[in-house]
Amino acid sequence: MTQGTMALSDEGSRGAAADATGLIDRLGFSSGKVTMSTNVKLEAVEPAVTGEGEKPLIELRNVSKTFGAVKALSDLEVSIRPGELVTVVGPSGCGKSTLFNILAGLEEPDPGNVLRLKGVSSTASDLLGKVSFMPQRDLLLPWRNVIDNAILALEIEGMPRSEARRQAMEMLPEFGLAGFEAQYPNQLSGGMRQRVALMRTFLFKRDLMLLDEPFGALDALTRTMMQRWLLDVWQKHKRTVLFITHDVDEAIFLGDRVLVMTARPGRIKLEQVVDLPRPRKADIVTSPEFIALKKTLLEAIEEESMKSFQVSGH
Amino acid sequence: MSAYMQSDSARQIGRGLAGALLVAAIWELSARGLNLPAYVLPSVTSILGGLVNDAASLAKAARYTAAESFAGYVIGCLVGMAAAVLVTMIPAARSVVLPLATAINSVPVVAYSPLVLLWFGMGMASKIVMVAVAVSFTIFLSTIAGLDRVDRKSVDLIRSFGAGRLAVLWRLRLPTALPLIIAGMRVSTVRSVIVAIVTEMLGAYDGLGWIIYQAVLQIDFVKVWAAIIVASSISLTFFGAISFIERRYVFWR
Repeated sequence: MTQGTMALSDEGSRGAAADATGLIDRLGFSSGKVTMSTNVKLEAVEPAVTGEGEKPLIELRNVSKTFGAVKALSDLEVSIRPGELVTVVGPSGCGKSTLFNILAGLEEPDPGNVLRLKGVSSTASDLLGKVSFMPQRDLLLPWRNVIDNAILALEIEGMPRSEARRQAMEMLPEFGLAGFEAQYPNQLSGGMRQRVALMRTFLFKRDLMLLDEPFGALDALTRTMMQRWLLDVWQKHKRTVLFITHDVDEAIFLGDRVLVMTARPGRIKLEQVVDLPRPRKADIVTSPEFIALKKTLLEAIEEESMKSFQVSGH
Repeated sequence: MSAYMQSDSARQIGRGLAGALLVAAIWELSARGLNLPAYVLPSVTSILGGLVNDAASLAKAARYTAAESFAGYVIGCLVGMAAAVLVTMIPAARSVVLPLATAINSVPVVAYSPLVLLWFGMGMASKIVMVAVAVSFTIFLSTIAGLDRVDRKSVDLIRSFGAGRLAVLWRLRLPTALPLIIAGMRVSTVRSVIVAIVTEMLGAYDGLGWIIYQAVLQIDFVKVWAAIIVASSISLTFFGAISFIERRYVFWR
């Protein structure tokens, strides 16, 4: 199967080879760890499903955002518990990116909102530098090689370069980039560039990671490989993740919970707990439980997509 | 890959040399064959003879002109870049300075040279000032264009890492601008030598422009051509050096 993906991958020979090594690593790694991970994960999932008692890492209430005459978000409520992987789906233009920009501290919501980080009231700009943010495009700097792109955030934090590079070098194999540290972005395949960007996000050790459609631009095969790989890395590093996607399969496959947003102005329409066991294997997408979840979510999204088409008048 | 590039550039240099030899041969043949007088077109061999005869004074003048061009070039680059960074950091200044700079830049700088000679005298200073003015406007405009190319999303990303304005400038905007800055620097090399020579023609104590002017008065056209050839080689060397730096350090474009 590894051979097959390798041959089918449209990436350059170097890229394909590296993807394959990464995949072999991953597969070997996860199959060896199945039983242990299941136990660990069950403990982690339990409070996520039932525990109202655990304090949310981040909490938004009554968050609205207006741009001129356009209301992008309206009374949005989101709360994320530590260690959760929450995915967000919604029709295009539903304000997902606005939500992310607020959480990354780049945009201030309209007045009257409640925004709490670990229970402390904050403004959005307080969040600048507190959240590790990965935008849709990898936005690697072409003049920096792999390792120096990965340490960009650490450097801005003021960590000495040598120390930052040492930390990044240790992480390279896990991201399937061993031996590629001195390459420049224009020498890498799309999947590898995305992993460098993810590594940059992981190295910036913050409580909350925001991933904005990180795999959106990848071909389907590379994308599924990256999803499985992300789950492995996430389980190992125990980070809290908010993950935006267009892809319902991806949302269910990755998420502890899936949030469906409404058409503009964006609100949370549906909050769906995904109680599929972890670690999740690739074939889980054909299980009846998965299909049932997918059906519920697709119906909700369909309804909103219709609305957004009517609103925009096309 | 670098070996491939080297052989590629070696081939280019080879072709350039072959072209130059061909031109020289046609020149020599037509100058001799048509028996052209020296004030119309001296033969290549007589120009080469002139180069050898006046080697000492030409070398001294070449050093003089090269020093003026280089000093003015360095000052111009620094001033142009600094001004562009300031204007970008203070958005209000931009709408005032930019149209003014474009207007001043659209007049050939040599038009100001009589004034500059009056203010800074006949020595090196006036040439350095003229070159610096000419170069700084080019660099200013190309740096501004470069700094503007920065991607809004990249700025957002590094701000989300906690970067302030200076960090955004240093780690993102300046490197983004570098390809355009260095392209401006490459074009400015030739411009700096031209401006130095033209200003020397209007008044100087030494330099290739001064030699050309004196030789014209003495109807010594072999010497005029010899000085032109020296000036061209200074320009080409300067241009080549900056192109080399460009290829070496702006590898990502």
